[in-house]
Amino acid sequence: MSPSLLNALLMLPALVLLAIVFAWPLLDAAWLSTQASSVLTGLNPIANGGANWQRLLGDARFWQDVAVTLRFAAVSVGLELLLGLAMALVLHRPGRGRGWLRALALLPWALPTTVLALGWRWIYNDPYGPLNAILRAFGAPPYGFLTTPATTWLFTVLADVWKTTPFVALLLLAGLQAIPLELEENLVLEGARPGQILRRLTLPLLRPWISLAVLFRLAQALGVFDLVQVLTRGGPAGSTESLALYAYLNAMRFLDFGYSATVVIATFLLLLLLTAMGWLLLVRRPLEASR
Amino acid sequence: MAGSGARRRPAPGAALAGLLLGLLVILLPAALLARPAAAATTVRVLMPSPFVDATASLVAAFNHDHPDLKVEVARGPLDTEAMSDLAIGGLLLGDSGYDLLLMDVSWTAKYVAAGWLLPLEGLLGDDALEPMVPGARVGNAFGGHLWRMPLTGDTGLLYWRTDLMASPPRSTAELEEVARRLQAEGKVRWGYVWQGRQYEGLSCVMLEMIHAFGGHWWQAGSGPAGGQTELASPGAIAAADWLVHLVRSGVSPEAVADFAENEALQLFAAGDAAFLRNWPYAWREIEKGGGPVVGKVGVSTVVSAPGITSGGTLGTWGLSLLAGSAHPQAAAEVIRWFTGPQTQKALVLDQGYAPTWAALYEDSELQQKHPLLAVQRQALEQGPLVRPLTPLYAQLSDLLQRQVNGLLTAEGSATDAMGRAQSQSAVLLESAVGPGPGSGPQARAQAQQRQGSA
Repeated sequence: MSPSLLNALLMLPALVLLAIVFAWPLLDAAWLSTQASSVLTGLNPIANGGANWQRLLGDARFWQDVAVTLRFAAVSVGLELLLGLAMALVLHRPGRGRGWLRALALLPWALPTTVLALGWRWIYNDPYGPLNAILRAFGAPPYGFLTTPATTWLFTVLADVWKTTPFVALLLLAGLQAIPLELEENLVLEGARPGQILRRLTLPLLRPWISLAVLFRLAQALGVFDLVQVLTRGGPAGSTESLALYAYLNAMRFLDFGYSATVVIATFLLLLLLTAMGWLLLVRRPLEASR
Repeated sequence: MAGSGARRRPAPGAALAGLLLGLLVILLPAALLARPAAAATTVRVLMPSPFVDATASLVAAFNHDHPDLKVEVARGPLDTEAMSDLAIGGLLLGDSGYDLLLMDVSWTAKYVAAGWLLPLEGLLGDDALEPMVPGARVGNAFGGHLWRMPLTGDTGLLYWRTDLMASPPRSTAELEEVARRLQAEGKVRWGYVWQGRQYEGLSCVMLEMIHAFGGHWWQAGSGPAGGQTELASPGAIAAADWLVHLVRSGVSPEAVADFAENEALQLFAAGDAAFLRNWPYAWREIEKGGGPVVGKVGVSTVVSAPGITSGGTLGTWGLSLLAGSAHPQAAAEVIRWFTGPQTQKALVLDQGYAPTWAALYEDSELQQKHPLLAVQRQALEQGPLVRPLTPLYAQLSDLLQRQVNGLLTAEGSATDAMGRAQSQSAVLLESAVGPGPGSGPQARAQAQQRQGSA
């Protein structure tokens, strides 16, 4: 048996697994997006050509959800990256109690999202929640953290940042530990200031890990569901409805599986596009530039 | 040591005894389990968690009295929508594994159109609903068939403070006036709390208010969706206008736009509001909670504009027979017992549920022991309001919630918001023109009927 054939054979189980859990459902959804399959058809699929896709293009709610989801992903991943980097740098420093500190910092990441979302629902509660208690102590009127369409999305981002920053920090911490200490020591001996070390040494060497964190988090944030479902249910007035929530509503509440599949496939295409762009910008271009 | 060495070599007799004991431990429960399973038909029921607890002792008694028919109750989630997700998840797989499902009244048309239910009139008789109060009979039939037997007769109610007023307000204007006066006197922080969150509860409130101002959400008629909406009518606009006026004038807190049942209940139970709109369950919750308003709460029917008889939204739970059931006859037997007068009487006494049987409202023991019975009867007799009976109800409700919640949380006029809700509803209902005869919900229901009688 030739080595390449053996390689192919050894990879077969993994490929079959991927095909079953990934490719097949995706193809199935793509097919379903060309069917009318809802309570009106008795849940039987009936081919309706591009009717679902035509409806999607003219669906203002879908486009609003695209904007909401993109805004959520961009702001939350951006904040998580900045805070995660700061956190990783702190956790990387040798010092007493570092082990404890690392464990503590990871705590939010270990919490189930629904539990933390319920917690934040209470924190934002108007009028009894702790944030409004603080406002009251300063003599300010209560604020509707979850009833102000213009700002509620920011508070969903905040809850997400609180939970996922430790994940980014953990990834970046692994990257920091892979940087040989001697390099930093050399720069210190040459008289470099901490800011220069960060810019000239740490960040460039951390780049693969940053890319990894961004791509991971981007994919997760674009599919945000549980946090929004528990914290706001897409409200107020639909201002925090994510694409995943819209797909879920169409399938599980409206029993409109054809249209839900269309939203799912459109979301998948969007995700593919953004991840490819991220990969090109963060991974491919730097690699070529460094050659 | 010598002692430990001896312990490592057990006597042959002890080993044999151990083996026998082991066999006994394994075989005895198996033998016990195997006997009833072979003889009895098991009917599996999926219910929301609170109902499982409420009926646990009744089910145990039933199983004790019926050696050949076993009821097995599966615990669903607490929340109505989570319950719906769980049930639908199972039903989509083809065989949910359950015979009976305890369903919210707003699911009926959707589940029928999906082909998940079997009609009940053939099993329970055409007159199965006859002994129930007229208000509890509605919302169970669709497309000419009976799909559901109601277990509770819940409607929306108005809770008020007996220590702050002599009698409950009868009109919207009176409620507002009393609330304002109590707020001005510093007796309560807020006047009226209700459900304004973007979820099903807001639709229930809107249904009551549209009716209270002389309008209709839904006009049943022809068409594949079974009727049309009238959300841009003067009554519907007045309803949205009144709710938003309550918030903007400070009678209701701005936070009401994020209130579900429990948030509103919490604020009322803390003594911070004069009025609360909620379901019958709130009564027990307030009394159990031991807060500052215990013993100071009265319950009445909801308010309406002068000259209009108010109606509370029907929020009943009932049992339906799932299409995959292997023994519909036995399942129907269980429905008859579960929704029957004895079970309901026990549930009124133990849990304070609103019954559906007319005779139970005449029962002097119940009248004495359950203070809510009189007002529940009045609410059911006044004509409770049924949410639009169409398979597209979930969509209609969703788009109304978004518009009204937007009105409560941002600028804008009720006329514009309700105009949008109406035009979006019209677009949705027009899309319901099915892909041809033989595939609409009605045809589907008939197919189910044939399947059921076969």
